[in-house]
Amino acid sequence: MILSRVADGLYWMGRYLERAENTTRLLLVTEELSTEVLGLDENLARGEWDDLRAIFPGFPGREPAARHLAGLAAATLLGLSIDPDNRYSVFHSLKKARDDARSVREALTLEVFINLNETYRELEGYTRRRLADPATFRGAMQSTHRGILSTVGAIEHTLTRDAGWLFLKLGESLERVFRTAVILRTKLPALVAAEPKIDLPLFYSQWRSLLRGLSSLENYRKAFGARLEPIDVLQFLLFDPQTPRSVRYGVTAVKEHLDRISSASELSPSVRIVGKLAAELSYQGHDLIREGQSLSFLDHVLGELGRAHDALSAEYFGT
Amino acid sequence: MKWVAPRSGFDEVFDARGQARAHYAPLISILESFTKEDVERRERLQQLTLRSQGITFTVYGEKDGLERIFPFDFVPRIIPAPEWKSLQDGLVQRITTLNLFLADIYQEQKCIKDGIVPAALILSRKEYKRELLGLMPARKIFTHVVGTDIIRNDRGEYLVLEDNCRVPSGVSYVLENRNLLSRVFPEFFGSYPVRPIKDYPTLLLETLRFVAPRRGQNPVVVVLSPGIHNSAYFEHSFLAREMGVPLVEGRDLLVEGNHLFMRRTHGKRQVDVIYRRIDDDFLDPLAFRRDSMLGVPGLLNVYREGNVALANAPGAGVADDKSVYAFMPSLIKYYLGEDPLLPQVPTYLGFRKDDFRYISEHLDQLVVKTTGDAGGYGMLMGPFAAAKDRESYLAAMKKNPGNYVAQPLVELSTHPTHIRGKFEPRRVDLRPFILYGDRIRVLPGGLTRVALRAGSYVVNSSQGGGSKDTWVLAPRDA
Repeated sequence: MILSRVADGLYWMGRYLERAENTTRLLLVTEELSTEVLGLDENLARGEWDDLRAIFPGFPGREPAARHLAGLAAATLLGLSIDPDNRYSVFHSLKKARDDARSVREALTLEVFINLNETYRELEGYTRRRLADPATFRGAMQSTHRGILSTVGAIEHTLTRDAGWLFLKLGESLERVFRTAVILRTKLPALVAAEPKIDLPLFYSQWRSLLRGLSSLENYRKAFGARLEPIDVLQFLLFDPQTPRSVRYGVTAVKEHLDRISSASELSPSVRIVGKLAAELSYQGHDLIREGQSLSFLDHVLGELGRAHDALSAEYFGT
Repeated sequence: MKWVAPRSGFDEVFDARGQARAHYAPLISILESFTKEDVERRERLQQLTLRSQGITFTVYGEKDGLERIFPFDFVPRIIPAPEWKSLQDGLVQRITTLNLFLADIYQEQKCIKDGIVPAALILSRKEYKRELLGLMPARKIFTHVVGTDIIRNDRGEYLVLEDNCRVPSGVSYVLENRNLLSRVFPEFFGSYPVRPIKDYPTLLLETLRFVAPRRGQNPVVVVLSPGIHNSAYFEHSFLAREMGVPLVEGRDLLVEGNHLFMRRTHGKRQVDVIYRRIDDDFLDPLAFRRDSMLGVPGLLNVYREGNVALANAPGAGVADDKSVYAFMPSLIKYYLGEDPLLPQVPTYLGFRKDDFRYISEHLDQLVVKTTGDAGGYGMLMGPFAAAKDRESYLAAMKKNPGNYVAQPLVELSTHPTHIRGKFEPRRVDLRPFILYGDRIRVLPGGLTRVALRAGSYVVNSSQGGGSKDTWVLAPRDA
């Protein structure tokens, strides 16, 4: 049992670390796909950047849309990497995670703090000018990504499995499944609308990039082979019980952490919400996708995850 | 490696003829064996370690409160055993007196009745808490942790400059400096019997548990911090981690039925001892400052009932007031019947008419301080100030003379310090830490602060100061 404030700090540290990892990965994947398709289909490339802005909605609403694709790409890359005022930038998330880590430092180990602190400090050292060079940008994001993963490794290998650890992992798992659902919800409409028309390779690159954006391409291949069938990809990302970034796996992880945290004999509101959602995901499957219910189902998932966050904040953090 | 000779005052390392003092000779020969490149490489490693471990303090007044590394100089300050012995005896005498004095002024006020200190001097201070009159803290201890600032004059004599009886900080740097130096320059340690300081957190925890109200049970001790934006936050978190106790903020605590609890994810838990790192005024908005967001409403009542111990005790701050300081020699004599073992700096008190006239006529020779402030804030360095700054300072003094004290400028001792490839003399002071639990213990070490700017007298971290590892040597046949 720990202080509510410390539980809150660890939960958010877990969320921000996970968010920083997601943003870094999606920046790298989007930049790559956009470069690949730029000469072939400018609209497709533009769509990728617009999606990214919808997934991480940290840009000011009234910002004039860049007319040139290059401008849009550069503004998005810099905005989501090092802009301290963009609340979804990697820098912002790392700063928040580090602030949380500092405020609950007695609940962490030196290894965790050092890894996080060094990752943050390194990214802090980059300027917009230096990052304007694509090779430098990729290098910086890859290095940040490694730093985040080694922080997560330090958490895995050095922290005591106490209540604090559970809250950290709860934050991480909730953020992860929430972001997966947001990514799917943003990208699906365009993906399912676009039937494989003329350019088959281009069509498949989008699905491939979706899987890569969710760190799931290799895992998908292991389950379904190299052939990318939209219905299989969706089935995999929504309902696969084993891949760590599927919605089903994610909700189950949230449920397991919450179950271990809640000691009461009576089910708490957050446990109820997440428990029901996990059950739905276990029994849903192909039919839902075939019947074109994926989008409304994702809306339902997002709504329930939001409610779960509110409920657990009230139960444990007193916020 | 080049050594720059000291020009003024007492140098810790070199005597007047420029010869290294005996206890520094081995260190110097080790340092001489390094090339400039070796030293630079080690210094880079040192910087990296400080930065990656986040060993920082926060500077106020800049955007967001900027985190800075407290600059560390790797040339250690060495104190031989006999010198330390006399320092330690003097400090024990002083802390004993301070606690007797505090017990007295919050109970019978005999020292006032006997004319040792003027009533107005004590009762007018904002650090004197009338609300606590008649209240004796557990085991009659007011100052569980004191950091006393010590300087050396041009004859090398140790003088007490001030006692910090509220929330003295810096001990985390004492411990981290030792860790860092032993990692970066392990060669230094081979030739010296350096007394270890690592057990400070254990001793601090014992000191705190000693005053727990629920004896016999396993008392719950916490460190109370204003939070992440406080300049000493690193230290608060460090001490909580090292002692293995929760670090709490005011909002984590609540009072119920005259007991203190902390809010946890699954219910609350009673707290017995608070090592508080926030000032009296912010402790309890119901008792002191109403606008305090850092404290706990009702805390003072719980304390009054004896259901929680606070370290240091509220109201202890009056003992380190700069005008009370002037009376310390007479107070030592009064309570202990002894002569003071440690001399201190002559002090002129603004509230005495003759003294005030002297201060205003000799402003260009004196260091003037406001009685309540710390950290080098609100200070006038007369000999270095511009005439117009002295005038405006004097004008402010006239409005509230009792708020000021003045001392002659003491030529602090210097110590070789590594500055851009050379060892240059820089002024230093010393802050030993003293714990008062089942007995009074002085940590064999301390924070040596160093004024990194050439010619500067100001060692405060907020104003360009750095620090050194401080070695107290074990007696030869111990």
